[in-house]
Amino acid sequence: MISTLINFSLAALCFINTSLDLEVSKAIEKRMRKEITKVFLCKDYEMADVTDSPSFKFKNSTYLSDHRIYKISRLGSLLGYAFLGTAPSKTDTFEYLILFDQNFIQMKAKVMVYREDYGGEISSNRWLSQFKNTSLGQRFIYGDNISAISGATISVKSMTNSINYVYSQLQRQLAIASR
Amino acid sequence: MNYKIFCLLLIILVGVDAYSQNTIDSLSNYSTQNLLQINGYQRILQNLEAVPNGMTFGGYAEVLYNQPESANGEIDVQRLILLFGYKFDDRTQFVTEVEFEHVKEVYIEQAFVNYSINNSLNIRAGLMLVPMGIINEYHEPTTFNGVERPSIDKALIPATWREIGMGVSGRSDALSLRYQAYIFNGFLSHNGSDGLLRGSNGFRSGRQKGAESVFRTPNFSMKLDFYGINGLRLGLSGYFGKTQAANEVFDTNGSRVGLSMLGLDARYNYRKFTARGQYVTSSIQDAFEYNQLTSKDLASNMSGYYIEAAYNLLPITNRQRLFTFVRYENFDTHHGVPSNIIKNPSFHRKEITTGLSYHLAPGTVFKIDYQNKSTAIVDSDRGQINMGVGVWF
Repeated sequence: MISTLINFSLAALCFINTSLDLEVSKAIEKRMRKEITKVFLCKDYEMADVTDSPSFKFKNSTYLSDHRIYKISRLGSLLGYAFLGTAPSKTDTFEYLILFDQNFIQMKAKVMVYREDYGGEISSNRWLSQFKNTSLGQRFIYGDNISAISGATISVKSMTNSINYVYSQLQRQLAIASR
Repeated sequence: MNYKIFCLLLIILVGVDAYSQNTIDSLSNYSTQNLLQINGYQRILQNLEAVPNGMTFGGYAEVLYNQPESANGEIDVQRLILLFGYKFDDRTQFVTEVEFEHVKEVYIEQAFVNYSINNSLNIRAGLMLVPMGIINEYHEPTTFNGVERPSIDKALIPATWREIGMGVSGRSDALSLRYQAYIFNGFLSHNGSDGLLRGSNGFRSGRQKGAESVFRTPNFSMKLDFYGINGLRLGLSGYFGKTQAANEVFDTNGSRVGLSMLGLDARYNYRKFTARGQYVTSSIQDAFEYNQLTSKDLASNMSGYYIEAAYNLLPITNRQRLFTFVRYENFDTHHGVPSNIIKNPSFHRKEITTGLSYHLAPGTVFKIDYQNKSTAIVDSDRGQINMGVGVWF
């Protein structure tokens, strides 16, 4: 009896959660496409997942629990890259997007989904603009060249660490690939 | 219970990082294809893997030592708070904090459901913190200097001030603005036999803390936070309404008072320098009638402020931080009084606190400070040394 109940409730739970999960990731994709259109000023671009290609492949870490890299091109010419990363907040994770031009100069950083209440201030366009126009060689220090946000310290540090990690890994991979 | 344990075990079995991977994987329809050729049990497993949720466990604690001049000191596990959260899905979350005060008193500090419609709009209901000033919302020991919280956040803002209610919160990323607006339960000013509000600490004893709260007329609370200037965060808070009273005295003149509380706060960080300040003013309607009925000494206006500056003595790249700070508080819970009571000069308090906060690791702090407390009465200075350890995880 109990096991039937468990199975039933699990199945019910799964049904609800699957549909929500897909909905959310579709929302992320939609938001990502919107940002790409805004930044690269075109709608008819192609997006290729290059996460696992040797020139870009690197491991996740404490500061980056998951990531995807997409190459963005239009009519065969390279426009730039989109990096979608997952980083930890106090008790959850958040997704952020970084758009690079073809030389890996950052054009825009944006928080796609922030799930917790506290720390959501890092989504501020103003705060994120501190990373704009930076190249992969640059490193960010919380409180030094990246300003603090009172009440959002943990997420500010997490985002700063995550971007540092991504920059260093991409820089290394690209250096190896160009040899 | 069985079901929860079973679920937990399954989640642990399928791996912790599976969820986040899944969110991004499904960009390429990968998981949708995989759903086609599996049996029921595999489906349960796979779907649990996709469950973007789970238990959260955390907490904070303060163990403090207060040593006033020529009197006994006090050593106390002032608070130990256990935080539990459960995320039902990406939109729906339950957050609760169970508080042990002085080891033996148990309270619920927060217990609410948050439903996120999108980043800019959340609906929440339950027992929540009233957004007023800095400390009431951000009171974890590693987030403020000084062993004790600012005294104004005890007497004027009755931190930790929480009430049952519902409301909305959210952010605008373009404006760098966070907003909160709630309808709350309100204070209890008269329990049928006694008035609960008084001159020394205003509304503090009128807090209902979510326990069998008396309610008839709603109170309104809002806060705006602006963080669009790098390093600076500004807050504007308001709380408006009328207190509640027990049924037998509800219609008695003076059993209920009106309250309008306004707060302004600022926090600033620049490299190794930080500063914060807060101004709060409360105006109380019908204090005259209340005092007449209860023989208490409630003011018609309570006002005050504090300012604090701190400097990190360690290099900015260090993981540890060592702040030296000084804080000045000036507040009066008898700033204005109705004509049936006399202004009590001992309620106009001035305090200077100076000391060190040594952050051993992010989330662990050792604090030591010296406080000089005085009132508007001549020669009322008293000194006190405080020490404490605090954690937040």
